[in-house]
Amino acid sequence: MRHYLFKNRGPARSGQRIGWLIASLWLAVSAAFAGPADELTGKVTDKDGAALPGVNIQIKGTTQGTVTDTDGNFHLNVAEGQELVVSFIGYVSQQVRPGRQSSLTVKLEIDQRQLNEVIVVGYGTQERKNVIGSIAKVDPTDVKSIPVGSFDAQLQGKVPGVQITSNTGVPGEAVTVRVRGATSINGDNDPLYVIDGVFMNSNSMQTTNTGGKATSPIADINPNDIESLEVLKDAEATALYGSRGANGVIIITTKRGKFNQKAKVSLNASYGWAKAAKLWDLTTGPEHAQLVNEWWINTGKDTPSLNRTEANRPFRPVSEGGRGLPEEQKTYDRLGEIFQTAPLQNYDLSVSGGTASTKYYIGGGFTRQESILKPITFNRASFKVNLDQKISDKIQVGVSNSFARTFRNQARAGDGPAGGLLQAALHTPTYLSPTNENGELVGRAGFDNVTLLLQNYDVKSVSLRYIGNLYAEAEILPNLKFRTSWGLDFNNYDENEYWNTFLITGSPNGFASANNGQATTWLNEQTLSFRQKIGAKHSFGILVGNTIQSDLNTGTAATGRGFANNSFKLISSAATTTGSSSWSKKNLASFFSRVDYNYGGKYLLDFSIRADGSSSFGADRKWGYFPSVGGGWRVKQEDFLKNVAAISDLKIRASYGVTGNQNGLGSFAALGLWSSGSSYQGNPGIAPQQLANPDLQWERTNQLNAGADIAFFGDRLGIEFNVYRKYTSNGLLSLTLPATTGFANYRSNTAEISNKGFELAIRSVNFQNNTLSWITTFNVARNVNKIEKLENPLEYGSRSLILLQQGHPLYSFWVYKQLYVDPQTGNTVYEDVNKDGKITVADRQIDGSIWPKFFGGLTNTVTYKGFDLNAFLAFSYGNKVYNHNKFFGEGGGARDAARVIFASNNDRWQKPGDVTDVPRPDGVNVNNYRDGGSRWLEDGSFVRLRNLTIGYTIPVRHISSLRIYATGSNLFTITKYTGLDPESSASSAQNEQGIDLGTPPQPRSFQLGVNLTF
Amino acid sequence: MIEFMKAFKYLLPLSMLIGLDSCNNFLDVQPRSSISDDQTIIDKASAETAVNGVYDSFRSYYSINFQSIGYLSGDNIQWTGSQSQIQEFINHRVNAENSTVSAVWTGIYSTLNRINHVIEKVPNVQDPLLTAPLKNKLIGEAYFLRALAYFDLARIWGGVPIVTKPTATPSDNRGIERATQEQVYAQVLADLNAAEPLLPATTDRFRATQKTVWALKSRYYLYQKDYAKAEEYASKVISDAANYKLVTPYSAFFANDARGTTESVFEIFYSVNETNGHRGQWQPQEKGGTRQWAPNDAFVALVNDPEVGGNRNALVAKDNQGRWYGNMYYRSPATDPTFVIRIAELYLIRAEARAQTGALTGALADLNAIRERAGIAKSTAATSDQLLLAIENERRIEFALEPHRWFDLVRTGRADKVLNVTDPNRLLLPIPAEQLLIDKALKQNPGY
Repeated sequence: MRHYLFKNRGPARSGQRIGWLIASLWLAVSAAFAGPADELTGKVTDKDGAALPGVNIQIKGTTQGTVTDTDGNFHLNVAEGQELVVSFIGYVSQQVRPGRQSSLTVKLEIDQRQLNEVIVVGYGTQERKNVIGSIAKVDPTDVKSIPVGSFDAQLQGKVPGVQITSNTGVPGEAVTVRVRGATSINGDNDPLYVIDGVFMNSNSMQTTNTGGKATSPIADINPNDIESLEVLKDAEATALYGSRGANGVIIITTKRGKFNQKAKVSLNASYGWAKAAKLWDLTTGPEHAQLVNEWWINTGKDTPSLNRTEANRPFRPVSEGGRGLPEEQKTYDRLGEIFQTAPLQNYDLSVSGGTASTKYYIGGGFTRQESILKPITFNRASFKVNLDQKISDKIQVGVSNSFARTFRNQARAGDGPAGGLLQAALHTPTYLSPTNENGELVGRAGFDNVTLLLQNYDVKSVSLRYIGNLYAEAEILPNLKFRTSWGLDFNNYDENEYWNTFLITGSPNGFASANNGQATTWLNEQTLSFRQKIGAKHSFGILVGNTIQSDLNTGTAATGRGFANNSFKLISSAATTTGSSSWSKKNLASFFSRVDYNYGGKYLLDFSIRADGSSSFGADRKWGYFPSVGGGWRVKQEDFLKNVAAISDLKIRASYGVTGNQNGLGSFAALGLWSSGSSYQGNPGIAPQQLANPDLQWERTNQLNAGADIAFFGDRLGIEFNVYRKYTSNGLLSLTLPATTGFANYRSNTAEISNKGFELAIRSVNFQNNTLSWITTFNVARNVNKIEKLENPLEYGSRSLILLQQGHPLYSFWVYKQLYVDPQTGNTVYEDVNKDGKITVADRQIDGSIWPKFFGGLTNTVTYKGFDLNAFLAFSYGNKVYNHNKFFGEGGGARDAARVIFASNNDRWQKPGDVTDVPRPDGVNVNNYRDGGSRWLEDGSFVRLRNLTIGYTIPVRHISSLRIYATGSNLFTITKYTGLDPESSASSAQNEQGIDLGTPPQPRSFQLGVNLTF
Repeated sequence: MIEFMKAFKYLLPLSMLIGLDSCNNFLDVQPRSSISDDQTIIDKASAETAVNGVYDSFRSYYSINFQSIGYLSGDNIQWTGSQSQIQEFINHRVNAENSTVSAVWTGIYSTLNRINHVIEKVPNVQDPLLTAPLKNKLIGEAYFLRALAYFDLARIWGGVPIVTKPTATPSDNRGIERATQEQVYAQVLADLNAAEPLLPATTDRFRATQKTVWALKSRYYLYQKDYAKAEEYASKVISDAANYKLVTPYSAFFANDARGTTESVFEIFYSVNETNGHRGQWQPQEKGGTRQWAPNDAFVALVNDPEVGGNRNALVAKDNQGRWYGNMYYRSPATDPTFVIRIAELYLIRAEARAQTGALTGALADLNAIRERAGIAKSTAATSDQLLLAIENERRIEFALEPHRWFDLVRTGRADKVLNVTDPNRLLLPIPAEQLLIDKALKQNPGY
């Protein structure tokens, strides 16, 4: 509800005419009612006496007012005793009582509010004007209603340089978040999430196989409890997080009360519906049969020894032993059965306030989102208690507590046949009946029967999550503060699956599996901070601190097979059971310090360093050191700019530093190990597991950042610009070893990756007066990712669609490039890269990647009296996506009864002269429908109306705010992509993104809601 | 400032003390499900468990991947799924990127590393509990398994790098050029000869014994066309009739959860905790499988022909959609054994060896032993050529769902005639493409 802040501001220059109009109108009306009024003449200037045109003058408590002309002068009829409110954007408003004067001069001071805004930085806060690093502060309010489950997914397009890809339309699933690209191949690329000082576990605990998908542990956080988010991007900002900082840091600050504030109760409730914007276009039964016959005859011509002819084509009359003529085939719809209009609901209630020494925030929330893909649901019930208590003037203690229970009804919404819900519905040929001759429901084409799946799906998970922090801070001396805190992130993740005999996985006699995992992170930190001014000009601060952190992951799993009948579901009732357990632990000890220096508010300099010791690395490589240095010049403070009114702020910043990365390789990656568990005949066995690498060490990312913050006309127009270059060396890599060594790989530090780019953010107040305001924010970023060093290319994804190769970006698509379909032969002509006259693997080439050339977002916020409107577009340009559904569906009939055929295959070449890009049917992976063909590699650029909200605040006595709103998400998406959603990815795995298979699109949704505060 | 320094003077050492003192211990975290590779094979127990680890390794690639190369490349199986690497075997158009080929290559070399650890370290173990016979047995098992591993390497790829030492560092056992196929076969024989005296002459169907060595030697000599020796070693096993005999009917060695019957000379053991995913490829959806591959029309016709298949028609069954599926691997939980050497194979090896050497009566007797068990009429083959063809056809049905057909036709030079594989380069499979990229010493087979 940030936009209300601007409600009482003066009119903007461009709005002068409208302002005049409205003012005159009201003057005319009010003249009829007001008492005797005298004309007042006045002038408004800045503090140096320069005239300010367009300043809004309003008589308090009325709607009468005017604006200053180009010389800063105004005329207004003012009755005695009336008070004037003089306001102008970018300046501090003043209230003046003219009394009996007939002329008046008002001097306005520049509003430093934006510059004095407090920004959360590593282990502290800073005022915006003193920030050197690249830090984006996000107000999550206007995206909070996007129904996705986790707050990170809501932030798409909101933060410059932060690329967020949703992967699927299933709520609460892991999304891909990349801050300034990706730095690692086998190390983790996720940013570090710090919530109220606790390093939050962001790795999915899911063990259930849902075809490459994973649940998001971030969805355990109720977005409504979040006060603000800061995204730390450059080395200056992240170096204090040392080994965890290379991928950026997202600091989440939850809501707290305020001292001396009476209790404020806030209620949010919304209800809505989500639906797929469109579904796939499939062939009918007759079309499918026709294509299969064509394939059969074509292959018979190509390879006579196959003995495939018109006479023995599969779809010939039943009397001839065939499956019936094409026109006799029926068409069965399965997609309609699994997609639904999904209900969404969300309720949040909170109370906050405080006395002179205590402040509190108590919140509770409940969310239930069904997926458009039945029977998937996401439920989260959460509560939060934040409490701060002053013990004395100098000592304060407090706690933060978040507790959530996240329940999911899961289904396989990714790759794979058994239990693969969307694949069963989408990939089963439409001509195949869901029943056999006896009328029994049967699965076809290797997939489960859709009806049976929906009736019997039983895969559930419950995440119980506690994230808490306990702190005490004391002012030991004036300017010297000590703070100690203990944090805990505990997640108990419980999964249960039961597959009865109607389903493939449960055949022939039932299968159940259960897994209980616990992830525990505890950390303790001490900081000592000191701030001192020496003389009038010098100011400096010192921070020293240490943390110790321990991450423990344990799991216990059991399976049962062989149930007496489908009524027995517990593993204990199974005939055969198995059990296993897992344990891993990682410890981290750190020391850090930051020194900052400020000369006269003009020159800013800081230096920070963190030393991290990790249990995961080789004996002599446990410690890593991560320094950074940053400088800023507040040019606006220089004399030559001080009096330039148009430029209200200008700051130039630069930083350089080193951050690290250690996650992703496992806790014991450096050790040479033999594993047990290789048993034979029930007797224990041991075997080599991994080779030792005593030199395994930190991945290091050097980052150079330069930026400028410019503001014009006060708050009117703000621009932030950053350019950066990140270079990662000692990159963590599972280096592939020749098989002759007996090992698949070896954990090494041999990769190098670079990311270069820029970010631009613009905030513009286009128009603002008493009743109407229009604010636009826009951001765009470009990141160029490149693998600088990688000894051998690495293949990832189905059919090796993704190749990691030196000189190319990570996650490049590796394809046979289809040039055209020969109109004479109907055959695909591929680019023969090595010109040897044959199409072999040597002709496979890199063609684009998942990385966009540009991405960002555009938000427009308009308020008019009690109405508010927020429209938010996210965009991505130049990224590619592999339409793997279409690869299977546009197989030309060669997969016969094993796969569906998409309607687009009807446009195939049939006779000489046909001009099309869909070749004649020949075979699977033969020529025309070759695995890895570029025909299914598509442009994934999009512009998406991510959110559109219209609200109205109803003025009601004794209630501070009552607002009703309607919000729509993903109302439209403009894209050339022929699949359903260019963001879809079958897998959540780091190196297998951008392959769209078997997962539902992000839905279009519509919600109605109410916000009430009293 | 001075006050600050004073406070700092006390606080800093305190925090350093808390931190540094315990740091070394704090940063030393050891795993719980693995042990350091410094000391692995040091006593009786670890020697035994290391050998179990070798069998475990066979279990992984012998469950599906290796077997599928043998039968998919024949003429009995059709493919019903979506993954082209399977179809490539059936079409005899295998690409160097084929994931099955890659999995078997890496599976075998991973096994070889386990074996080489045993062969290198067990002889040096000083443990009074590890008696000389036991020590010999363990080493002998490792030699046998190494022979089997190289035998499979040689028949799939021809010449391959020969690795006989364990890998201790990432620079070991790489950059080794391919030996010739003859050299690899020589290694097989050397290992078999090493294993034979070390192993006891007992009967164990799940682990190597002297008799298992004889059986593999028999197969080895058949491949080398040393028919006298092939016959000799086959006879050594067949003559142990108390322990090895054909079970009746045919399905008795696998149906009704049978395992370790007298049919088996060597089979790989699977249990609830050591499962075999093979059933999933064969069984239809209603039985929890994918039926990714299924008996083709030609084979279904043959095996259901009472004159040809006889009671071996138990190999196929019909699902609830009227489709045929292979039913040799069917157990739930998935514990179907992998049958590596059956006594039936030794009968047919001897029959072939005898037919090749003109001992037609003996050859016919051995062939008819198999036909009789299958419940079909005796063969009427009269000449050596007729006999050889009859044996070839018998093997096709007898081992339809086991990895023999392709190797048989390659070995006899009949792949061209029977399978239409006209390009002789296709008789050897390609070295996995990604291995060529990593190890420049490797050279691809011609034609790929």
